Amino acid sequence: MINPISRAGFLRLAAMSALLVIPKQARSGDGEITRDMILNDPDAPVAGNPDGDLTIVDFFDYNCPYCKMAAKSLEKIVKADGNIRLVYKDWPILAETSIVGARLALAAKYQDRYLPVHHALMDIPGYGISQEQMLEAVSKTGVDQRRLDADTAAHAGDILRLIKRNLSIAEAIGLQGTPGFLVGAYKVNQALNYDGFVKVVADARARAKSTK
Amino acid sequence: MSYVRIAGFVTLLLRLLMAAVGPVWAAAPLPADQAFQLRAQLDEEEGIELTWSIASGYYLYRERIVVTLDGQRIRIAAKKGEAKDDPNFGLTEVYHGTGIATVPAELLPEKGRIVVTYQGCAENSICYPPISKTIDLATLLTEDAPATSGTEPSPPVRGGNEEKSGVPTWAPSSPGGLETEVGMLGGSVVSTTLAFLGLGLLLSLTPCVFPMIPILSGMLARAGGRLSVARSFVLSASYVLAMAAAYGTLGIFVAWSGENLQASLQTPLAVLAMSAVFIALALSMFGLYELQLPQSWTPRLVAVAGNKGSIGGAALLGFGSALIVGPCVTPPLAAALVYVAQTGQVLRGSLALFSLGLGMGLPLIAFGVLGARILPQAGVWLLRVKHVFGFIFVALAIWMASRVLPVALTATAWGGLCIAVGLYLDVPSLFGEPSWRPGKLATATSGVLALFYGCILVIGAALSDYGPLQPLISAGLVASAPDASVGGFQVVSNEAELDKAIDLGRKQGRGIMVDFSAAWCTECRLMERNIFAREEVQRQLAGMLLVRADLTHFDLSSKNLMQRFAVVGPPTVVFLNPDGTEIADARVVGDIGVDGFLNKIAKASGV
Repeated sequence: MINPISRAGFLRLAAMSALLVIPKQARSGDGEITRDMILNDPDAPVAGNPDGDLTIVDFFDYNCPYCKMAAKSLEKIVKADGNIRLVYKDWPILAETSIVGARLALAAKYQDRYLPVHHALMDIPGYGISQEQMLEAVSKTGVDQRRLDADTAAHAGDILRLIKRNLSIAEAIGLQGTPGFLVGAYKVNQALNYDGFVKVVADARARAKSTK
Repeated sequence: MSYVRIAGFVTLLLRLLMAAVGPVWAAAPLPADQAFQLRAQLDEEEGIELTWSIASGYYLYRERIVVTLDGQRIRIAAKKGEAKDDPNFGLTEVYHGTGIATVPAELLPEKGRIVVTYQGCAENSICYPPISKTIDLATLLTEDAPATSGTEPSPPVRGGNEEKSGVPTWAPSSPGGLETEVGMLGGSVVSTTLAFLGLGLLLSLTPCVFPMIPILSGMLARAGGRLSVARSFVLSASYVLAMAAAYGTLGIFVAWSGENLQASLQTPLAVLAMSAVFIALALSMFGLYELQLPQSWTPRLVAVAGNKGSIGGAALLGFGSALIVGPCVTPPLAAALVYVAQTGQVLRGSLALFSLGLGMGLPLIAFGVLGARILPQAGVWLLRVKHVFGFIFVALAIWMASRVLPVALTATAWGGLCIAVGLYLDVPSLFGEPSWRPGKLATATSGVLALFYGCILVIGAALSDYGPLQPLISAGLVASAPDASVGGFQVVSNEAELDKAIDLGRKQGRGIMVDFSAAWCTECRLMERNIFAREEVQRQLAGMLLVRADLTHFDLSSKNLMQRFAVVGPPTVVFLNPDGTEIADARVVGDIGVDGFLNKIAKASGV
């Protein structure tokens, strides 16, 4: 029997009528999560148009096959649209090597090579990627290996704290698994194809306009 | 009673409607524990058998199932899965539907705990972090494993506590996900419109439309024998268009205000006002006066229409009856509300509702056109037809007012109507020539019966013992249905009272069922009669604290009550944990039948 309106559907309605934007504080108390932390974490890598009128926050894992499929559409729309700011949230939850991948990419940021490393890791298809596969992919990006090792060691604490922040943000906004996206005021907890992104981007802009 | 059956049919149709709207939000992923449900069973010889029930559209990786005892991985025998070969994935083995793995008995001590870790994905949607459960070897009790602490960020193990953030979730309503799903609402505006038009046609087979048939035919009959087919088509069409426009407008208002407009239209004042309009119409049918627009308006309207019977009046009547008469506004409204809110497209949502109303009205147009042909051109018969509609209008007025008037008064009114009908049918034969023609005889007999029933009703009302069949039951003529009234409900009408009830539940450790209901909600009555009164339901509800949130007076406090649980309208039943949080997926909207309701209770009590 089909449930006429699911609880989630109702809550979504309530959320839509009551909260048109991400709450200023998604969680209060200790380790509080602020809107600023989600959108403007200075340590989180950013791509696309830094002054774009719409921000997409991408929660992904290097062991997540659907993240990899969705990422291609996401990159495409960010490029085609030209007015989207993209925030990367490394969210290593699926396997042990996920953390290895996240560390490699985030350490590469210190030599401004996050994006090439990120793309190299996302281009390894499937799940259950081994550490060796990841290291091999990274070495092909032309990143300075010695610098990468040094930064991984020197900034180990910073990287770990960033990953932990990402973990608590994802939990606070109620993501169930990877991939997860925040598109403007909307949470999308599933992989989308290009048309899906086009739609949600349009919806998010419409929403932003109507709440202004 | 046939009314109950008809209302059940409405519910069924509405469920079809909801099913059609379903894909809009079906795309949101399930909490991991609902997608993959683990059960452990002891087999004396084999060991412990782990069984996963996997929701449809989800799969579990065979090789990701890991069992540890005291931190040591132990060998398990996992059933062969299905090969999943995807160019993006490589070759993997997965379980759909059910997964089974056995932990050999010889590896297990008598007491202690094993930790089972497993992982899966929703097809083409998302992948979940590993889920860890501990299983007590003595009791086979399954619990969430405590998250391992350490400096390494560990995969958080979470329950189904989604949506706690209040961030609106977006889900594609069309081929937006990787999976290409074709929802009825996903396609073009045209297909949406057609879908709702069809649903409206289905709805027109229900009592939603019944009250409108006499209104429309009354209007046509009043215009008399001067109606051409074209003219009655124009009149019916404007009636139906206005009705559809009313629904469309409703959609816009709802999209903007997010409120249930119907609730405010169901205030006693609005209901009584509409009821008064019907009485006025009835009196006009009896020839007490002619309903006409002001003299100064008429020439203009006639100039436009070139015939008698005003299009404007028809439209006004259509608009009004759609908003207030139809008992079926809430559910389509809820559907459209969900749709409009989901897509954020006000115009499209209201267009959908407009076509729904249009679909509901198409048979009315047919009726109006054919009816005009069938109706005799002039003479005594036309007068008779007018009178019949007069009585029907009075009946409609009583039916509407019954939502807000005390039952005894309503019963007296019904009784009065029956007596009036009886007198109307019998008086002419008393004074006229005695006639033994079958037609006359039947009329006289019905008149006597109506008189008889009317008197019983009035007497019954005086004894304040109401129910249309109640007098007959007392007279032993009709078998009694199960008692509709159910005790044990604590009635609350504002949040403070509800909090008190939740507090009580917390102290006693009891789950709570909150039934959002209102005196004017006919479907709520049906649920009380058909579901809550049933013995098996009562048995299942025995441990729970029963609370009825009364929305009869739609004021700020009842609005707050509804907002607290995001209730669109009654009937809605919400199950709460003893701590006051809502139990996921146990919510009941509308009458879903005894079996459906029992299922929901089972979900709520965690069986």
